Amino acid sequence: MIKERLYLQPETAEEAVRMAHQYERDFRFIAGGTDVIVNKFQGNDSTSCLIDITGINELKQVIRNGKHLKIGAVVSLEELYKHIEIKKEFPILSEAARAVASPVIRKTATIGGNLLCENRCVFYNQSEWWREAAGYCLKCSGDVCIATGGKKNCFSKFVSDMAVALIALDACLEVVEYGGSYIIPLEDIYTGDGVKPRRFNRTSLIKAIHIPLHNGQRSVFKKLRQRESIEFTSLTTVVSVNKYGKIKIVLGGVDPKPIIVEGTSEANEQELIRQAVKKARIIDNDVFSRKYRKEMVTVFLNNSFKELKQ
Amino acid sequence: MKPITIKINKREYHFLADEHEMLSNVIRKKAGLTGTKIGCEQGSCGACTVLMDGKPVLSCITPAHRCNNVEVTTIEALSKNGELHKLQQKFVEKGAVQCGFCTPGMVMTALDFVENTPSPSVEEIKGALSGNLCRCTGYKKIVEAVAEYVTEVKSLKPEVESSDNCREKKLKAVGLPRPYIEAEKKVKGAAEYADDIDLKNVLHCKFLRSIHPHAKIEDIDYSEALKIQGVHYIVTGRELPVKFGVLPISQDETAIAVEKVRYVGEIIAAVAADTEEIAVEACKRIRVKYTPIREFLTIDESLNDIGANEKIHEYGKFNNNIHKKAELRFGDQQQGIKESDVTSKMFFEFEGINHGFTEPHAATAYWDENGLTIITATQVPHYLHRALAKVMEIPLSRVRVIKPYVGGGFGGKGDPFPHEIIISHLSRKMGCPVRVRLSREEVFLTNHGRHPSRMSVEMGISKDGTLKVLDADIAIDGGAYGSFGVVTSYYNGVLLQAPYKLNNFGFRTFRVYTNKPQCGAMRGHGAVNSRFAVESLIDDLAYKINMDPCELRIKNFLDSNTLTVGQYRITSNGSRESLQKVMEQSDWEKRFKKLEHGHGLGVGCGFFISGSALPIIWNELPQSVVHLKVDFDGRVVIASGASDIGQGSDTMLAIIVSEVLGLSLDRIAVLAADTLLTPVDLGSYSSRVTFMAGNAAKDAAENLKKEISSSIEKKKGIATDELNFSENRVFSNNKEVDLSWNEAIDILTANRGAVSVSGKYISPKLGGDFKGAGAGLSPSYSFGACVAEVKVDTETGIVKLLNVWGAHDCGKAINPLAVEGQLEGSWHMGIGQAMSEQMKYYKGLLLNNNFLDYKIPTTLDTPEIHTNIIESNDPEGPFGAKECGEGALHPVIPAIANAIYNAVGVRITRLPISAEDVLGLLQITNRGELRMHTNADS
Repeated sequence: MIKERLYLQPETAEEAVRMAHQYERDFRFIAGGTDVIVNKFQGNDSTSCLIDITGINELKQVIRNGKHLKIGAVVSLEELYKHIEIKKEFPILSEAARAVASPVIRKTATIGGNLLCENRCVFYNQSEWWREAAGYCLKCSGDVCIATGGKKNCFSKFVSDMAVALIALDACLEVVEYGGSYIIPLEDIYTGDGVKPRRFNRTSLIKAIHIPLHNGQRSVFKKLRQRESIEFTSLTTVVSVNKYGKIKIVLGGVDPKPIIVEGTSEANEQELIRQAVKKARIIDNDVFSRKYRKEMVTVFLNNSFKELKQ
Repeated sequence: MKPITIKINKREYHFLADEHEMLSNVIRKKAGLTGTKIGCEQGSCGACTVLMDGKPVLSCITPAHRCNNVEVTTIEALSKNGELHKLQQKFVEKGAVQCGFCTPGMVMTALDFVENTPSPSVEEIKGALSGNLCRCTGYKKIVEAVAEYVTEVKSLKPEVESSDNCREKKLKAVGLPRPYIEAEKKVKGAAEYADDIDLKNVLHCKFLRSIHPHAKIEDIDYSEALKIQGVHYIVTGRELPVKFGVLPISQDETAIAVEKVRYVGEIIAAVAADTEEIAVEACKRIRVKYTPIREFLTIDESLNDIGANEKIHEYGKFNNNIHKKAELRFGDQQQGIKESDVTSKMFFEFEGINHGFTEPHAATAYWDENGLTIITATQVPHYLHRALAKVMEIPLSRVRVIKPYVGGGFGGKGDPFPHEIIISHLSRKMGCPVRVRLSREEVFLTNHGRHPSRMSVEMGISKDGTLKVLDADIAIDGGAYGSFGVVTSYYNGVLLQAPYKLNNFGFRTFRVYTNKPQCGAMRGHGAVNSRFAVESLIDDLAYKINMDPCELRIKNFLDSNTLTVGQYRITSNGSRESLQKVMEQSDWEKRFKKLEHGHGLGVGCGFFISGSALPIIWNELPQSVVHLKVDFDGRVVIASGASDIGQGSDTMLAIIVSEVLGLSLDRIAVLAADTLLTPVDLGSYSSRVTFMAGNAAKDAAENLKKEISSSIEKKKGIATDELNFSENRVFSNNKEVDLSWNEAIDILTANRGAVSVSGKYISPKLGGDFKGAGAGLSPSYSFGACVAEVKVDTETGIVKLLNVWGAHDCGKAINPLAVEGQLEGSWHMGIGQAMSEQMKYYKGLLLNNNFLDYKIPTTLDTPEIHTNIIESNDPEGPFGAKECGEGALHPVIPAIANAIYNAVGVRITRLPISAEDVLGLLQITNRGELRMHTNADS
């Protein structure tokens, strides 16, 4: 009556990918598990095979390699913000890591897991019974988006604070696949479709995150949340300027994917902010209203620019 | 299932564990280590924190198989050879343990932190604990315990040293701050809560719940579910048709929906099965045919005539969903308005609030030669006893309710509940024990929390600052059933007649049924929202007549020993002292109206009952009886029906008996809340326990003292009034008779054996001779005040709460450590309602039924709390004591809102206070000012 379940613990990335290939139809990688397990508890994930990648040593390292800092995918958020070199080179990365969830969760949750954290919505992150009572939404095989009152697109929120910071730092992912590996800019994996928010082969595995060094970046990180701990984001913003004068604005929590606006130091800041606000498809699926979050994008970005000038 | 080898607390276990089983289940169910608690099952509360290879993890979201060949450390391993770890010792000493349910997780998190952080600041401690929710303490004593562990500075006075106050009144036990008698057991994870109790041969119960807010049940087909191996019985509403409810006038609920459902989440069927998992699977296979009927989800919909639609309950002669109208008027409100120089009228809206206790409901029921026994997380064993007898249709003498340790209640465990009745029924049917535990989602659906309310309130004042009139028009949303709602309806109004003198006062409350989970009693019952309205209006009037809001309040306070307009008898009254204390501490006079824009101070006051003078079920029984038994061993056993739910009532009883008999606490044992063994106490609600059970305990101890004295008089020929009871001795003034306690007991028990005495408390006859006069009557009232300090970010509207200074007149602090804990917990809970908590619905479906989305403030969201106990020595309270567990909540919420007004000039009329509302109001205010300037310019 109850499905046969598996819990696999590979020791190498290669083995993990092989296992994934074997159980392709019905598996999920699990790192910290702080997101996956809750989704399983609520019935949003019913995969019967879990492949636990936290025992893979090659995913746990932080290495400085020429022009890049390479952070292993299962480095925990706590290790990340306590890492002296990271704190020195990329202070916003520490700040972002520290802004995720709660202290106990940060000890288990990993950087890779955070990047692949499932999009969220009040109508989706609920128990199976609840979703039945609400009338299943688009993200759980329903016909329409409940949050927008009937649209045919899913606007579930992108909530990875780490991704917002890492995209601002022009990070890339080192991905292992069955039969090969490749490197891809982080921002390229996000689709903007709330139902399938990542263009990422299910059997692929993030091995490491590569962040370019020596860009002379200065960045400001901000997060809107009701309480100062535990919360997922209601709005995350990073404004970053590098030594070549490139400005990058990244937003999280306001669209199914991270919102990115780029410009140069000659660009009109207000115009960049306007672009960011315009791009964000904010809907009422958060404790803060759409209107307020929209307003706060402008406030946060203005303040970030001010702080960068100080 | 796969084998797993796991070392828990250095002991190696070999288990078969499901591949997707969580570590918490292995620890609790397989290894039987129930010190690790389950509060939310999704990593949001921290109660399940254990160490995995020395690192804290949330065991409820950690796969067990990840822990294969790993060392796990749970709370049980911390004490060594019977000695508490020093950190645990600090938790005990500082009063950081109340209900004790969050304690194991909190200690484990703190332990890792202190071991890895050499000399942390208080801010760092708060940060480290910010993923562990506590609903009792307001975190103050927890943070202090950790800080003190770190610095190793002891500040708690040794128990033998009495404070000046005590010496003066010659009290030896009363007034000394001391940890709860069971604190060690709780901090070690050894205290058993309802879900920790695991009887043999037990079945597990799960519920199928309605997915419609209002619908006819046409058909329930559970034939497929019954076919599942391991399913034993499925019960539907037809088998349990007898209605129940906590109030005799609101017997409107059945344990399982019969014929129709009235809210999303109402129980439709219950399954008894070998495991929870099987029961869950069976629930999924039950097919229910519904015919939805028009639902009523808002107060407005339910107030109005509903036309041809079906009412939620048949009850009531009008064609609407009004459950109760309560109205009382005193003096002449029209005249009051005329006499006022300035009036203010505002409209307020409040969202529903849930108790948020950390321990989900759980219970086990079984039947034996004594009839039904249920072990359950309840605040009211007595009312549950009555409800079970009624619904099971058995004599009262065949029901036994046992309350184990309870992980917080705050009113939320204060009714008889469907799950308690259902497992009693299933157990009778199956002839074996049946257990149930609710998920956090189910706890939210069960609710009985604070009513969503809206009200229009008007007040008037003369130029010299005398309050002239108060008129409140209130509507409260009761949800699908009655619960305590009739009382709530009255309390919303009647509890406004103090702490200020008001001659012209009236209110009208409508309580409506809606198709949502029912509301009931929650800490500060009934008057939290209307108090907010009144304190906001008084603040507004103070600004309007240009008078300091503290001064205005002081001018209008009722005196001691007076009657209110509705004939409440006010005896002791520490309003003035409370307000003066917080003014002084907050440097009010120097700082109020003198801070920069965006930074403000606000004040609020309040009062509350110390138990209801009238019992819920009218009869001539005392409100509380306490038995004392002493036998050859000299131990005094206190038997009381009072329910300790974390507030420390067991300790309070022991202290009172200790004081009267001059006996040390180690010779006193407390047996509480077992309706087979303990005499009736009505329960832990309406802040009645210290006053009523405390008085009963005092009466019983005095009776025992008399018995002992008269036996010594007979034997030794010394007059009873010559005898003193002190320091475990009984001696005459001239020391001719000088007996150890056990020698005295030998004399008492000679030719007689064990002696039992009884004590009781019956409230005096109080109140006026009019309908509704009984509502809010209490033998005594507590009083209090708060000042809050906020900073408001004018760009975002975000409010940062910096300080709360609170003072509360509890009459006399029997145990100051426990009183502080109650006050801090009340203020913290008030802060939650003010700043972040609310129950949000989508078409009758609760949107935020978990601890991630229902936002109880964390350590980092809790400001500095400054605690002050005010003692007014009540003439009727035991040793002068009155309530301290609820009333303190009232003033803090308006104090915060008034501070926001002081900071940025916007008046908050809707809770919780959202950044968005503040910003919106600021923008309106700024536009208004701009317009005024423009007009002035032109």
